[in-house]
Amino acid sequence: MGSMGEAHAEARSSGLVALSGPVPPGFVRVGEVGVPVWPDGASPSLLEEYQIAAAPVERAGETRRVLACCLRMCWADLDAEPWPGVWAAVDDVLACYRTMVGRTDDSVRSWAVGALRRLHDTGWIVLSGFGTLRLGPRCVLWTADGHVQLRELMRRIAAPVPSGEVTPVVEARDEGPDEFGDLLGAFDERRRAELVAAFVAVETAAEPVHEARFAALRDPALRRALMEMLARRGRVLQQRRDAWISGYTDAYRVTSLPEAERAVLALVLVHSVAIPRAEGLLGEDTWLSQYPVATEELRRRTLLPIGELEAALRSLRQAGLIAQQKTNEEGAGGYVPGPQFHRLTRAARARLQEELILAAGPQTPLAVAIRAKRRRHEPATPDGET
Amino acid sequence: MSEGCPTVGRVLPETLDSALSDEAVLVTYRRMFAALARDSGAVVDDPALVDIAETLFAAFAEAGEEWLTHEQMRHACRAHPVEQFENRLRVLRGLGAIREVFPKPNQLRYRASFTSVVGLMFIRRMMDDGGQSEMHRLLALEDLTVAGPRTTMEQARRSADMLARAFRLWALELVTLTTGTIEELREQAPKLWGTEEIARRAQSLHTTILTRWPDLDRVCTDLRSAIYAYSDASRRAAGRLADSAGTTRNLTLLPAETWRTFAQTATRERLAAVLDGFVFDAAAPWHDPGAIVRAVDEAPRPVPVRPAPPRSALPDEGASSSLAANAPGRFTETAESLLGDRDAVALEEVLRGDWSTIRRVLADLASADLHPEAPYRLAWSDTLSADPSGHPSWLSHGRLERTDGFHG
Repeated sequence: MGSMGEAHAEARSSGLVALSGPVPPGFVRVGEVGVPVWPDGASPSLLEEYQIAAAPVERAGETRRVLACCLRMCWADLDAEPWPGVWAAVDDVLACYRTMVGRTDDSVRSWAVGALRRLHDTGWIVLSGFGTLRLGPRCVLWTADGHVQLRELMRRIAAPVPSGEVTPVVEARDEGPDEFGDLLGAFDERRRAELVAAFVAVETAAEPVHEARFAALRDPALRRALMEMLARRGRVLQQRRDAWISGYTDAYRVTSLPEAERAVLALVLVHSVAIPRAEGLLGEDTWLSQYPVATEELRRRTLLPIGELEAALRSLRQAGLIAQQKTNEEGAGGYVPGPQFHRLTRAARARLQEELILAAGPQTPLAVAIRAKRRRHEPATPDGET
Repeated sequence: MSEGCPTVGRVLPETLDSALSDEAVLVTYRRMFAALARDSGAVVDDPALVDIAETLFAAFAEAGEEWLTHEQMRHACRAHPVEQFENRLRVLRGLGAIREVFPKPNQLRYRASFTSVVGLMFIRRMMDDGGQSEMHRLLALEDLTVAGPRTTMEQARRSADMLARAFRLWALELVTLTTGTIEELREQAPKLWGTEEIARRAQSLHTTILTRWPDLDRVCTDLRSAIYAYSDASRRAAGRLADSAGTTRNLTLLPAETWRTFAQTATRERLAAVLDGFVFDAAAPWHDPGAIVRAVDEAPRPVPVRPAPPRSALPDEGASSSLAANAPGRFTETAESLLGDRDAVALEEVLRGDWSTIRRVLADLASADLHPEAPYRLAWSDTLSADPSGHPSWLSHGRLERTDGFHG
């Protein structure tokens, strides 16, 4: 994988990346931060046109209303683009939000503050830490059509008079060089649009997308170009029957989650996949499961401290690594592996199985065989059996 | 018994074959497998038949010294068809697992054989884990026996021989499975393959025998090669499974209990190590302008305070009198006084006087029209007359009609 692919893979797995020096292709640098951009000015908005579910957003309505309030206070000149805008007082944004929902109780405030935290963590706003905020680097991804919709919305939202001095945000924005020009240039306009649509769809959809809706997935020549586009971003295209989704190339092996989140995710996998599998309940060979593990079960039967467990569950949920299943008639509510498990390559899924077996039954003949196999295949980097 | 299933029907009788010359052993052996016998010569293939035997033994244990009559036995097995029960009882009696309390003709009470009950317990365990735990116990016992001061070389030789044969047969089963379908291997292998523990115990037993009786080196070589063959077959089976595992199927090879124990006892470090080297996407939700607009539109709206509708400035006596007006009597009276003898009257004729009178009359007529039982109707036309200087200044044309022959 080239360094360009690696920069993109890193941006995808860590959120945003700090960029210095020349801006790599496929990025826009906003201040110091690199944001991956979509080719030909596309955006995940096109999922809606194709009626494909995007990755679920934690408390979506509330978060977006709070973002609208941030935008209302930061977008000073509606004739210009929203970014970079001006600094706004957090209290003004909260006042704007209270007026919008017509409630002033403390819970509204704490929910809004939670939403601000999530928006900050995902690059949509930047909290200064001194009671002010501004629009985040991701806001540069809205297209001109989007600006029209948002401008219209801004006129409808009542805003308080800014409580402090209005300070414009001064930040540079540098576009990287063209990323896919050589590839896309070979196709006429229609095919080019189909390629971009398929690219955005397989990269952002919550589940594998059906090839019936995307010419670039059905047609082998277009698909080859699509795979090349993905490869430049450190991604591979994978097929699940007649649906497709992208994932990290197997060559890109970094540990992207903090330790506590990895531990809790492993617990969910044991309870929701390994145990139902061992009991013969799970039929298909997949890491997705319809057997949730109750939060109570996780809380009671583990060595992890509860605070750490809850925080990790929250982060994992926000990233789509676990999904919350509502309590049904049988009362079986809890967590199952999230949509991200659609994106694991076959090799990664097989490796995950081996790692779990090595961890839970290190003395079993199977673990011995797995270690032996790894020694056979990777004589240079022995792992396991010491 | 299915092919490749390592249960007593195949493995144990062969390992015990050598001892079968003795009639006493033969009797024990028959009793032990009575619970599995379909007739005196074969092994059952229907688990319900074993259930009958177990139910009977449980009933005998309950009955104590009262023993059981034929009717009581039938009652205990009432869940099973009578024919199946009788057939089973015949076999169990034929093999001596259930016998008359006193060997006399017309004997009515029966007792159960202790050996058969123990045999059944043993068989159940063999069915569950393919004999792994039995092998553990056997090795532990043999280890004790060969170390005992009174054990003879001949006994040690027989012990080593028997174990070598058991390991050979076990290895053979595994080899057969390893060349068969992956599904069958996945299902059966965990019952058969050797844990490190079994191999270690067997090695230790081998060492004990060889150290104490160096003359038994040939038998011990046999035993050693059988253990190696078994370990090798285990490794092959595990290796084949590890190679062709799919992506979650092998999780089934560890029992659910092992997984639960792992989840409950593993430290954060040990759990986290599972996902070392795995890369996932960071949370990067997309907030689409359209979705933001929708979210704002769907915001829970504050309920605005509604101003009261403006009140009429005209004098009005209030609600007290009009409440009584609900009574049909009043609007009947009004309608009749307006109609007189006629069946219909134009509203222009009757709506006269000041505004409040007109309003009252019109309200009464509307009530008369709407009341399901009152025989009056207001029929409106599409026309109206306007007279800006007159009173009323405009008027919709309509008629008050009587709807049937009712007459005050």
